[in-house]
Amino acid sequence: MQLKQRLTALWLMWSLPVFAEINPQLVALNCVSCHQDHAAPERGIPLLVGLSAQTIQQDLLDFKYDRKSATLMPRIAKGFSDDELRVIAEYIAQH
Amino acid sequence: MTAGAGVLSGCENVRHKNTMANVVVVGGGFGGATAAKTLRSLAADLNITLIEPKADYITCPGSNWLFAGLTSLPQLTVDYLALKQRHGIRLVTDSVKSIDRDRRRLRLTSGQDLAYDRLILSPGIAFQWDAISGYTAAMANVFPHAWQAGTQTTLLVRQLQAMPAGGVVLIVAPPDPYRCPPGPYERASMMAYWLKQHNPRAKIIILDPKRGFSKQALFEAGWRQHFRYGTADSLIEWHSLADNPITQLDAQTHTVISDFGDRFRGDVLNIIPAQTAATLASEASLTDKSGWCPVNPQTSQSLFDPYIHVIGDAAHFAPIPKSAFAANSEAKACAIAVYSLLNEQTASTANWLNICYSLITPEHGISVAGIYELDGEHAVAAVREAGGVSQVGSPELPILEADYARSAYQSLVNNSFR
Repeated sequence: MQLKQRLTALWLMWSLPVFAEINPQLVALNCVSCHQDHAAPERGIPLLVGLSAQTIQQDLLDFKYDRKSATLMPRIAKGFSDDELRVIAEYIAQH
Repeated sequence: MTAGAGVLSGCENVRHKNTMANVVVVGGGFGGATAAKTLRSLAADLNITLIEPKADYITCPGSNWLFAGLTSLPQLTVDYLALKQRHGIRLVTDSVKSIDRDRRRLRLTSGQDLAYDRLILSPGIAFQWDAISGYTAAMANVFPHAWQAGTQTTLLVRQLQAMPAGGVVLIVAPPDPYRCPPGPYERASMMAYWLKQHNPRAKIIILDPKRGFSKQALFEAGWRQHFRYGTADSLIEWHSLADNPITQLDAQTHTVISDFGDRFRGDVLNIIPAQTAATLASEASLTDKSGWCPVNPQTSQSLFDPYIHVIGDAAHFAPIPKSAFAANSEAKACAIAVYSLLNEQTASTANWLNICYSLITPEHGISVAGIYELDGEHAVAAVREAGGVSQVGSPELPILEADYARSAYQSLVNNSFR
């Protein structure tokens, strides 16, 4: 194999998981397993309804970088790149 | 495998070009209900049938809370009316007798025959009755496993409450993998919470074939805080019998016996047997030698049949644990994949979320979370930077997590069934 081809193959192998696009719809479907889309009970998990994309994105980034304390969300937000969190926030705000 | 599936799904779409495709979902637990509901949200005109023998479903999540008197069976019961009326799912109250994979037809117990273009199986678990000699299906009516919520759970609650003062509860925990990894330890916590008030000299002994368990450090810290764990008069003892597991039950003497002959006698015996995928899956030759159903995780298609998708506890999605939350998450990814396959589109990259809350007391909740994606080899892998168990520190966190445990339960039920 030519060096160039070999490098391309290597680059593809390395880069595929990193560049694999997430499906924001699927992630958002998982969000609402806890953040239900109607009235939460008292002292329940906060709702996402009515929040702007900007607010959701900022909260997710604050959870990810431990700027905002919470029980579970810091553990979730660390699973996504900043860009993925933006796409997810936009999807949630629109639906 | 994947390429083959793609070609076959192409033929199928030609066949059904002018008709609506039939998707049949078998099993009305968290996996099946969520798959049917999510699929409907993606495709208004699809024929979606859910086959489930029970008219009502009693959730396993939350059922340990019965031991502490925190809930009731009616509160843990959901029906299928919303799926039927709000989401237009055709409900067939029946069970599947056999799957004719070649003809893509189901034979139901009532005798009815049902064709499918794609079948989503979420059949749950079966017990390995031969794993502990003497512990049979009939014996479970005397010494309940209570690992499928309902009459089994009620029986165990009654036995706990009727136990003599200073009595012993034995919990025989199952080997990995099994439904609800933190379940036996939440159960011990909830029993201890009740015993502390009503039978304070009693003891719960967990006999475990594993060397460790889910959320162990958090459970043990909670037990030390609330139940004198680690002291001579602890309400809970945990014994790892990894090299010497329980292999036998002597029903007459209420005794379980280990491989080397150690004997443990209890007043109440809760034996949770080793598990496999439900019988329906093994009878349809969808299981491998592990007893679970191997799948292509991206689409949840069985490795033995591209027209059958398997999700929930029966499917092998390790390292995703077998939980209701995970079944719900697998169902959503599966529904998107089924929709894509029916429409000859490339399925988007799947990912999954699991969250399991456990209560140690009504005011002390703990949690574990995991985010999962496909690795370079298309196998499921946990995202390393994410997930993990509750932080220890602030005294408000366990109280908040207990509230969230109840809230997440209600939300997951609504999300799956309503």
